[in-house]
Amino acid sequence: MSTAYALPKDLSRATVVNTASLIRIVALSLISGAAIASRLFAVINFESIIHEFDPWFNYRATRVLASKGFYEFWNWFDPTAWYPLGRVVGGTIYPGLMATSGVIYNVLHYFNLPVDIRNICVLLAPGFSALTAWATYMFTKELKDESAGLLAAAFIGIVPGYISRSVAGSYDNEAIAIFLLMFTFYLWIKALKAGSAFFGTCAAVFYFYMVAAWGGYAFITNMIPVHAMVLILMGRYSSRLYVAYSSWYAVGTLSSMQVPFVGFQPVRTSEHMAALGVFGLLQIIAFAQLVRSHVSSKQFNNLLFYGVIVLGVGGVGAVVGLTYAGWIAPWTGRFYSLWDTGYAKKYIPIIASVSEHQPTAWPSFFMDLQLLVFLFPAGVVLCFKELRDEHVFVIIYAIVASYFAGVMVRLMLTLTPCVCVASAIALSTLMDTYIDPVQPEADEDETAQSDAGDSVSGSSATGSISGAAPKKAKKLAAAAVAAPPSANPLAELVGAATGGPRMKKGVWGFDTRFTVLLHTFGMLAFFVMHCTYVTSSAYSSPSVVLASTSPDGSPHIIDDFREAYYWLRQNTKEDAVVMSWWDYGYQIAGMADRPTLVDNNTWNNTHIATVGKAMSSSEEVAYPILRAHDVDYVLVIFGGLLGYSGDDINKFLWMIRIAQGVWPEEVQEANYFTPGGEYRVDERASKIMKESLMYKMSYYRFTELYGANPAQDRVRQQTIPKPSPTLDYLDEAFTSENWIVRIYQVKKEDHLGRDIKSANAFEGGKKRKRGRPAVGRRRAMQ
Amino acid sequence: MRSFSLLTALVLGLSAFVRAKSSQGDDVLVILDPKLNRDDYSLFFGGLEKDGYSLTFRAPKDVKPKIIKDDVPSFSHVILFTPETKGYASDITPQSLIHLLSLSTNLLITSSPKQTLLTALSSEFSLIPAPPSSPLLSHFPARSDPPTLLPIPVPDPIDPKSEYADHPLAIPPICSPHTKAVWYEGTAWALGNNPLLFPILRAPKESFVSDASGDEGAEGVVDAAEKGGEGLWAGSSLAVAAGFQTREGARVVWVGGVEVFSDRLAAKEIAPGVPSGNTRFTRDIAAWAFQESLVLRISHISHHLASSPPLVGSNTTNLPTQYTTNDKLTYTAHISIYNPSSSTWTPHVSLPSPQMAFTMLDPHILTTLSHSPSHAGTYTTTFRAPDRHGVFKFVLDYRRKGWTWLKSEEKVAVVPPRHDGYPRFLSAAWPYYAGAVSTSVGFVLFVVVWLSGEGRETRKKAE
Amino acid sequence: MPPKAPTRPATRSPITSLLKAYSEQTPDRLKFIDAFLVFLMLSGVAQFLYCILVTNYPFNAFLAGFSSNVGQFVLTASLRSQVNPQNRTEFKDVSPERAFADFALGSIVLHFFVFNFLG
Repeated sequence: MSTAYALPKDLSRATVVNTASLIRIVALSLISGAAIASRLFAVINFESIIHEFDPWFNYRATRVLASKGFYEFWNWFDPTAWYPLGRVVGGTIYPGLMATSGVIYNVLHYFNLPVDIRNICVLLAPGFSALTAWATYMFTKELKDESAGLLAAAFIGIVPGYISRSVAGSYDNEAIAIFLLMFTFYLWIKALKAGSAFFGTCAAVFYFYMVAAWGGYAFITNMIPVHAMVLILMGRYSSRLYVAYSSWYAVGTLSSMQVPFVGFQPVRTSEHMAALGVFGLLQIIAFAQLVRSHVSSKQFNNLLFYGVIVLGVGGVGAVVGLTYAGWIAPWTGRFYSLWDTGYAKKYIPIIASVSEHQPTAWPSFFMDLQLLVFLFPAGVVLCFKELRDEHVFVIIYAIVASYFAGVMVRLMLTLTPCVCVASAIALSTLMDTYIDPVQPEADEDETAQSDAGDSVSGSSATGSISGAAPKKAKKLAAAAVAAPPSANPLAELVGAATGGPRMKKGVWGFDTRFTVLLHTFGMLAFFVMHCTYVTSSAYSSPSVVLASTSPDGSPHIIDDFREAYYWLRQNTKEDAVVMSWWDYGYQIAGMADRPTLVDNNTWNNTHIATVGKAMSSSEEVAYPILRAHDVDYVLVIFGGLLGYSGDDINKFLWMIRIAQGVWPEEVQEANYFTPGGEYRVDERASKIMKESLMYKMSYYRFTELYGANPAQDRVRQQTIPKPSPTLDYLDEAFTSENWIVRIYQVKKEDHLGRDIKSANAFEGGKKRKRGRPAVGRRRAMQ
Repeated sequence: MRSFSLLTALVLGLSAFVRAKSSQGDDVLVILDPKLNRDDYSLFFGGLEKDGYSLTFRAPKDVKPKIIKDDVPSFSHVILFTPETKGYASDITPQSLIHLLSLSTNLLITSSPKQTLLTALSSEFSLIPAPPSSPLLSHFPARSDPPTLLPIPVPDPIDPKSEYADHPLAIPPICSPHTKAVWYEGTAWALGNNPLLFPILRAPKESFVSDASGDEGAEGVVDAAEKGGEGLWAGSSLAVAAGFQTREGARVVWVGGVEVFSDRLAAKEIAPGVPSGNTRFTRDIAAWAFQESLVLRISHISHHLASSPPLVGSNTTNLPTQYTTNDKLTYTAHISIYNPSSSTWTPHVSLPSPQMAFTMLDPHILTTLSHSPSHAGTYTTTFRAPDRHGVFKFVLDYRRKGWTWLKSEEKVAVVPPRHDGYPRFLSAAWPYYAGAVSTSVGFVLFVVVWLSGEGRETRKKAE
Repeated sequence: MPPKAPTRPATRSPITSLLKAYSEQTPDRLKFIDAFLVFLMLSGVAQFLYCILVTNYPFNAFLAGFSSNVGQFVLTASLRSQVNPQNRTEFKDVSPERAFADFALGSIVLHFFVFNFLG
């Protein structure tokens, strides 16, 4: 037998196996190191700081958990959020993330390692990304082999689609959820393969952890039933499926109901009904199988078949009926928006207003996945080639996640692991083919051919069994891939395992192999460069601190947010209520430690609409709203001076829309546009726009900054008219260095009972018109 | 002499026999127009000094002493006897006077028919000044004096316990009972629609405002009212003395003429052998303006679970900050009244129907506090917290014209029950408990039987 | 849901033959498991009826009690299929002893959650 390149001949099998596993361990730890390291750009470029918006809440909650203990955290009622409604935090969050950090914190402190809770929070996501890499490795190993697993682990470790949610400081639920997702799937596959209740229970326990950690657990809740259902429809029902699914569902559902935020949803909402339905169906099928095993009458089987169908239809009917009867909650708006991308915009502007909920733009697929975009379909096709139960799972996962990723930007995250796995399978197959030193010789190794052919065309009954047969060979094959210098006897096994057909139309010679592999490595190198570049430039910004470069190229840090929040913290009363648009609620609570009206937990649409109305109305209308909610300060984000485009004027239309949803008579979106239908802030802006509180607060004294020159808004590229707006009911309290954050103090009612406008006029020295007695003659004559 | 009951003590405490100091301070600045002779008002000023006030006199154009120094008021009370003054030093402007009020300095301002800076100022208090140079006239009762000098009867205060005490038109008991009519000379105001403003002394029914000193002006007033849209400057809707209390509690008294304080009118008889009530009246309004009378305060507020009354002697510093929904809560307010005769705060026992609202955006509970007889000055209520979580406020908001505005807001969080605060182990659930327990027992039995079966099997095999 | 006996217009013979086949072909072990299964099913049905006919309050207690039955049922059924000699080919990795250990572990986890949820 000829080989394409020379192989060392004097290696024992044990040496190869040991070296291979050593190299695997080293590779995995290197991958973990790379995964963690590439997420530390944020810390190096900026500092060890919590990022963005939601992480600030998680961080705050974690501090409560660490300082007061779990029970107090569970019962935590936060009176400062959603003032004055308050928020039952313990019952409205997924506590998994905080609990994880709390456990780590307590363990470290038990060992007298006084690590600050903030650093644990900052570094939790990178740490878990290493675990994700490991879980992906395990998962892919079940699908193909160790080499594919290593590739998948390397991919998931550095792919930007996942890094975007897990850089250091991005202390969000997703940080641990992706690990849990992959690990639960791995356990499910394992349970299904072996038919083991143990792995099913483990999957349920991790499912419980997932439910406690992320709202996206519904993805698992539906993926596994869909997988089971597809297997049943493919005629692949087996007792193993029954064991795995039943143990997972029974324990998993019960455990998921322990999370207070989830409560009775698993038996009450439509999102969870698929799992329940498949569970019921499996029981029926299992029973039918049992009966059939004892009786073998054709007619009887037919009856049984129809009975199953009738029961299935009846079950669906019952679910629909219960939904109408109000027992099962219908699908929520967020769920509908997954099917109809226009739905949210029409009915729930608050969901549509979140940039994460927008449909994904095509370039972002490339940006987040790069090379993997092209490898992904190839990997899915390769899954079809083998099509064991677990491959079916990957195929379903790929289809479902691709769809969802197209609908919503943030669901790119769930697609990424699947892409990594499929791409790893594709790339690993390619490399197996081209690194394999065996030259094709048509008439050699008949057994291998038949064996492999079996596994491809394997019937439903034997497919999974044949997969198990060449297991040992596979392991060695992986070893051969991981350690190219392998012995001759090994090479035979390589050939046997990686497919017979290649023997007929395979790869000859060294040059072809070299060319293809060179290209592959080149592509991988580019992939690494791309990932590093994207991670460092796009995904590492904390968005609390902004970076810019001055003309001479030196970096310049814009720290307006913290400047303003610390101003609030140090200069205002402890119970001073701050009103801002909900985006900044968590940050104000976290950094300024002041009560807020609305925050990023957008549970009360009316309250948000109230803030929207106050922002979009004139001062006179807004003032009673502010006073009724005890607002002391109003905070707006203004980017016009610096060109920071994520400011409140650009979000203003959403405030108007949300307010319009609740008060259609008082706030109308059309009034804020010019007659020509443009959204403008210059002198052509509509009168209502110019009188709105938001406009006034943003541009108050803005023109003064430019002296005699025209005041240019650098976000909208428009000139702000003079004179600048006047404010009667608010006082400018603070404006940050670059004018990004502007804080206004709400005036108290005039102490003489005048309306504030005339009080201001009096202060300005204006004379009042002389009044007249209001009483009529008759009364005066009494 | 004031030992009958607390109530009489209250009413008589307002009377002018023996005065003690104000509840706020004794420094009084008198801005006296140079045209006025200080000795012409010796009865009024002397009366204040006798009661312990230290008066500082200053002409309007003097630079010193300043009324506000470094944003701190230099005096507790300011009297403006500048009815016709046109020019002031730079530190006295309408704005600075209003600023003075926001620094809780009290003002006693005298005006005149002439248009001055004070005329413009008065309109900030919702007083509607009469047309310039038009004094208040009356031809009744027939007398030898000119029509611009008229006697005005002083109304008796209404007993605060009577059902009319809360009537919006009721005149607060600023003047002592049975005060004789006062001689008055000056202008009058119509009163705007401002709840902080109220009349202390109304013009007589027969009086009117006119720029003519004779009888012929009366028709002109009606004409102006009906044709010119001028409004009717006549009758008892006009006030010659008005009180104003700012939201922060500073007090202002506006009097339409300075002569009412003069020794001349104080000595003038209102009826043969009966001296006028001017001395007593002016002292009474000064007492009100300088926070001697009708001064209330909330000594402290407390609230607690009705089931667990706080320990005796525990103070307000450690009030609970959160309650659970549906808790029974007790709210207590201790209200005191200032007793000027002894310069002390004594429990106020006769506050008519104070109300407390338990508010989150809107009042969820609105209830009347009742006076608890065992503890004088203690008003209390017990109610059940709403079944609604959120940040609630105990709002006590007691406003009566002339009386100090009592306002207290106590924020408290009402939280849902703790996870272990719900009822557990309900009788209705026994079948479920039984089911769960039987399953567990069944499981254990099953395991035991199974394992023993296992053992037997292996033994069988071994055999 | 515990499987219900399919109701269909069956003649007498299939049922009797079924029962006969069952009693003849099934090992004692499995019969013992089946007895336990029937007990669980009856208990579950009883609770379900009580919930529908009397009260579903407190709902968490019902769910805990009922799911303990259902969960125990499916775990036991899993055990049954794993130890069933007919299914040997399917469960190559799972020996009967291993199956029983799995079963015990799953049940313990289940009962932990049940009692946590009950009160």
